[in-house]
Amino acid sequence: MALFAIPDWVVRSALVVGFLAVWELGSRTGMVDPRLLPAASTVIGTALSLLETAAFRAHLWTTIAQTMAAFIIAVPVGAILGLLIAERPYASEVLKPLVFFVFSIPKSIFLPMFILAFGIGFGQKVAFGVFSAIFIMMMTAFAAVESVKREHLMVARAMGASFIQTLRSVYAPSMAPVLLEAVRLAMIFNFTGILLAEMYASRSGVGNQMGLWGQNFMIDRLLAGILIVSVLAILFNEVVRALETRLEHWR
Amino acid sequence: MTTMTTVSARGTVQVENLTQIHRSGERTTHALDNISFTIPAGKFVSVVGPSGCGKSSLLMLLVGLAQSTSGELRVAGRPVAGPDPARIGVVFQEANLFPWLTARKNVEFPLMIRNMSVKERETKARDALELVGLDEFGDRYPHELSGGMRQRVSIARGIVQDPDVLMMDEPFAALDEQTRMVMGDELLRIWERTGKTVVFVTHSLTEAIYLSDHVLVLSARPGRIIDRIDIDLPRPRTFELTSSAEFIQIRNRIWEQIRTA
Amino acid sequence: MVCPTAKTTRRIIVLILLACWELLPRLGVIPSLFLPPLTLTAAALFSEFSVYWQHLLVTLQEVGAALFFACGGGILCGMLLGSSTRLRRLLLPVVSSAYAIPLVVLYPLFTAWFGIGMQSKVVFASVYGFLPTLLGAAAGIQTIDRSLMMTARSMGASPVQQIRYVLLPATMPTVLSSLRIGGALVIVGVVVSEMLTSTAGIGFLISRYRTMLDSPRVFAAILLVLMLAILFDLLVQFAERRFTGWKKNVPAKTFP
Ligand SMILES: Nc1ncnc2c1ncn2[C@@H]1O[C@H](COP(=O)(O)OP(=O)(O)OP(=O)(O)O)[C@@H](O)[C@H]1O
Ligand SMILES: [Mg+2]
Repeated sequence: MALFAIPDWVVRSALVVGFLAVWELGSRTGMVDPRLLPAASTVIGTALSLLETAAFRAHLWTTIAQTMAAFIIAVPVGAILGLLIAERPYASEVLKPLVFFVFSIPKSIFLPMFILAFGIGFGQKVAFGVFSAIFIMMMTAFAAVESVKREHLMVARAMGASFIQTLRSVYAPSMAPVLLEAVRLAMIFNFTGILLAEMYASRSGVGNQMGLWGQNFMIDRLLAGILIVSVLAILFNEVVRALETRLEHWR
Repeated sequence: MTTMTTVSARGTVQVENLTQIHRSGERTTHALDNISFTIPAGKFVSVVGPSGCGKSSLLMLLVGLAQSTSGELRVAGRPVAGPDPARIGVVFQEANLFPWLTARKNVEFPLMIRNMSVKERETKARDALELVGLDEFGDRYPHELSGGMRQRVSIARGIVQDPDVLMMDEPFAALDEQTRMVMGDELLRIWERTGKTVVFVTHSLTEAIYLSDHVLVLSARPGRIIDRIDIDLPRPRTFELTSSAEFIQIRNRIWEQIRTA
Repeated sequence: MVCPTAKTTRRIIVLILLACWELLPRLGVIPSLFLPPLTLTAAALFSEFSVYWQHLLVTLQEVGAALFFACGGGILCGMLLGSSTRLRRLLLPVVSSAYAIPLVVLYPLFTAWFGIGMQSKVVFASVYGFLPTLLGAAAGIQTIDRSLMMTARSMGASPVQQIRYVLLPATMPTVLSSLRIGGALVIVGVVVSEMLTSTAGIGFLISRYRTMLDSPRVFAAILLVLMLAILFDLLVQFAERRFTGWKKNVPAKTFP
């Protein structure tokens, strides 16, 4: 019974702290081989010192630049394509199943074709990132259009609202939360795609570094890299989620 | 003209000093307070009372799906310790049909639980479905039936177990007025043919008076029995009866009690 | 202008795409290194079939094992999480945050831990498929109507009967749809990890042929993976129709 009175965030923090403590102790006492699993404190230390080296920061910057470039292309293009299709009944009847099909097939396996076509540079990574993220964007744009209530549109039109006014007063508020959700998912897909492309074949980027560390059994750096990437991903995710909740409140 | 077929003493329901206090976490809710009553076998008894007074709680106790805080509860002279579908059948407010089974299989379900032979179970299920007028819909899945039909299947499922007592918790609450009236008449028809004891929880005073031999009136929470009214109106009852002076007088009496209790 | 029915138009589009696949590289519009003509790809698939088959078996074994861990574990944990309000409130935010982590970065760690054989692939694919399966199962179990259990109890069903006749059929749609989500991810996980570092499997073939710049064979292998994914989905779809046909909303078709 007593456990039920403790607030959620305390229990949640306790879980995280407990996890780190078990990790730390397991490694320090030698219960697990510290060469295979260095202590949590070691990994955090490694992560901090990595962030201080110029070379790693350059790799990190490459990854972030590629991710952002792909993101900036995939999100608006995917959203606009999706909205254009979803707004036309005939187009959506013809194209939605096709988009859905492409969405549901695994896209990572096409990575080699991108290398054969674009080589292994910045452009190839961005292209693959866009390819990884654009379909989820289109799919959610379909859902966003469906979330707009026909009655609201009708009321707006009946009141003589102009196209821009309808866009502002009906489309935007209903679709914003759905589209934000899409942005969040697109970032996950996109980031995964970029990192995979870097790990697969590249000369720079965090993914490339991690692939090398894996081959050379530099486990402390690997774990540090995982930590940095996870923190970045979760940070972005939480920011968008916070925005989503904000929007829910405004509505 | 009441044609009771086989009224057995097994359908007697006795309740003595029943008290129920719900506990969820730190909060306690006093639902029923020292309730006592006896229902003779073969009678149709309704339970009415304000919302939240403990009618459902009472029924859950009678059916053996809940434990009382104190008091005694006997059906056919034996205490109720847990669900005992051979003695006590139950029909809930929602039809609660298993969506993955056809209407027929739903009706057969309690018989399957009892390991009855396939043949026997099919015959009984057919009869029960016929009784509620759904013999042609046996192969439909619940989502292919209307709300009223689903509720009738649920009633068939209660009847097919052939219990001595049938407990019903607002079985018609989810139905529209018309269906409700029709279902009420059907229930009376079935009751008269089978001679079971029926305990019927309802919100509708009209429905309670129209159907019952006796009406138990519960007070607001904690539920106490504040009146027990014998309805001596002749059977078979008709719709016209509901506007007769006698009927209205009874209804006003109950209404007054619920309002002032 | 009268538009043909959507289905016809869609078929025409697919046919045009297939024709483009054949003609554009042949005419030199697209370098055939990027997109090998359809016929060449098919020819590669048939001429090398025994090689593909041999590696496909390796991939299938890994997929099978990972499916067991990802879906078995994911469904079990998801049901546990979904059926307890307290656990759900506590852990669901954590799980959703964890979902944002690009899991590919774990693969180098797994190769360091488990070597470059089948083990690391199975572990990676299991982890890859686990969370979405868990989330699916947790959401599905919440839709189960608890009063059905009570109804069965009122009819005198024993605990074993309640599980067999109520819980099992009621959870079937959730289990199958989780299997569907998880299965697709497990296949991707296995193939991608084979592509990264391995000595066998379809993903290994993809990477080997890529370094040889033999794009028809690369594409043939990719096609094989696609077929595997589609086949798996069709299989689960079949099971869904067979076991959950009673549901009002028949599951959406992924592969029409
Ligand atoms: N399992 C439970 N735990 C805690 N409190 C409960 C539980 N079941 C019922 N209660 C409380 O007991 C009281 C009586 O509930 P009950 O459902 O028996 O009322 P009711 O007369 O059937 O109401 P209604 O007419 O609205 O169906 C209510 O205040 C309710 O909140
Ligand atoms: Mg009730």
